Amino acid sequence: MTFSERMLKIDRRIIFVVIGLCTLLPLLNPVGLPIKISPEVRNVYDYIESLPERSVFLLSIDFDPASKPELHPQAIALLRHAFRKNLRVVAMTLWVSGTGMADQLLKQVSSEMGRERGRDYVFLGWSPGGSAVIINMGQDLYTAFPSDYEGKPTRGIPVLEGVHSLKDVTYAISLGAGNPGVEAWYVYGKDKYKFELGGGCTGVIAPGLYPLLRSGQINGLIGGLRGAAEYESLIGQKGRAVAGMDAQSATHLAIIVLVVMCNLFYFSLRQQKGRG
Amino acid sequence: MPQPVSVIDMDATILGAWMATGLTLFIFSFLYQDNPLFKLAEHLYVGVSVGYTIVKAYDTVIVHLIVKPIVEEGQIALLIPVAIGLLMLTRYVPRAAWMSRYAFAFIVGLGSGLAIPRTISSFILKQVEDTIRPLLAHAGGDGLTFSLNLLNPSSGLNAVIILIGVSTVLFYFFFSIEHSGPGKIVARTGIVFLMIAFGAAFGYTVMARMSLLIGRLTDLIEFSDVSYGRPTWWLLVVTIGVLVLLARRVPNRPPDLP
Repeated sequence: MTFSERMLKIDRRIIFVVIGLCTLLPLLNPVGLPIKISPEVRNVYDYIESLPERSVFLLSIDFDPASKPELHPQAIALLRHAFRKNLRVVAMTLWVSGTGMADQLLKQVSSEMGRERGRDYVFLGWSPGGSAVIINMGQDLYTAFPSDYEGKPTRGIPVLEGVHSLKDVTYAISLGAGNPGVEAWYVYGKDKYKFELGGGCTGVIAPGLYPLLRSGQINGLIGGLRGAAEYESLIGQKGRAVAGMDAQSATHLAIIVLVVMCNLFYFSLRQQKGRG
Repeated sequence: MPQPVSVIDMDATILGAWMATGLTLFIFSFLYQDNPLFKLAEHLYVGVSVGYTIVKAYDTVIVHLIVKPIVEEGQIALLIPVAIGLLMLTRYVPRAAWMSRYAFAFIVGLGSGLAIPRTISSFILKQVEDTIRPLLAHAGGDGLTFSLNLLNPSSGLNAVIILIGVSTVLFYFFFSIEHSGPGKIVARTGIVFLMIAFGAAFGYTVMARMSLLIGRLTDLIEFSDVSYGRPTWWLLVVTIGVLVLLARRVPNRPPDLP
């Protein structure tokens, strides 16, 4: 068996170890590689930055713990920015399996930023119907969510004063890991009720959302852990996403090297067989 | 005066750290080989996810959106959607199963009516409008300009690239004529655009999967701290120990027949 053949039949567990080490070592010894801010992430930041105080900011946390490593840092960074700008935060989720996580997230960031439930933010929780909830909210927010996550009637909550439907929302962001997510918010929300919409998503679905970004259907997009790291850099509060960027770069480099090596061995073997 | 709530919170955090660490390591053990620890974690994941969803759905839908409004606020009109919903359950009674068709017809009709116009508007008309945007742009009093800036998504050059990409990919999927001569060049160009799109999607997928690994490893590093009782180290020893024991217990495979 030639060297190329042996390398092409290498035990896949060796590759797992290589990838594991490439991820683990930078996490233990961070280098601090520079992070370049992309225009799509900056657009979201700039839009929030331009909002006047006490504007209504709707954050739809449309993911569950399976996508937590990518979208949780985005949510934390966005909430920190919104609370710092003294916006009225209306949070909700279209994913039933993400309700507990979303509530914990809001409690964590609000206590860190000294914001009060009911006065500065509200967590509406989950309501059945998927995309239909968005249409319902566009007609009457209090029909879609008669009570908040804690069971308190939503009518009369101070943070919702003057908010009757999605038409009263200044800016909405959906952090989506699938459907319903960013696309549903555009189709059933922004396109019908005319509020500005931004998006945050996992890396897997980011390429599918770029056409919406280019056509102006969403005004910005935070894609994956990389996008979260960019947003953390913009607000000046570096967290888990920035800490993970060295590991991300190292694993990407390892995968590129593996792909190149694999191709070299493959073509080398093909050449040897051609000679034989 | 003791603070029982904070003690419970702390205990829950530590217990959660041990659970999260154990389940992460059990799932990762599959990378070595399939084993009972992986099966345990896999079944727990499925069971807990379904259980959580059922409880949340019951509490939100049945209790807060149906029972309370009807009983406490007298919203009798809610009985209509409840009746439509109950019709679906007739699927389980063969003699009455036909009644479920009314419920499904209602849902399909309503869903299609809501989705079709909005989807056509958002994903077809808007995207077509963006694809066929003018190649030349007005530049004040200077007349028309053609921007060559690749980094600007709305530049003239990018508009041309998108136009070529859309046309050639559409041609590639046009099977009514043979892809030969100039048609072959156009179809090949379409394939190149498709490959670039697949490559970009795969690159993002790799990034996403690596992000998940980074998330789990970050937690494992955090939970190796003494304040949690070092669950990462203890449970790593347990996982490796179980894998070694299992490897020893597995009888030798019979030799493959020639």
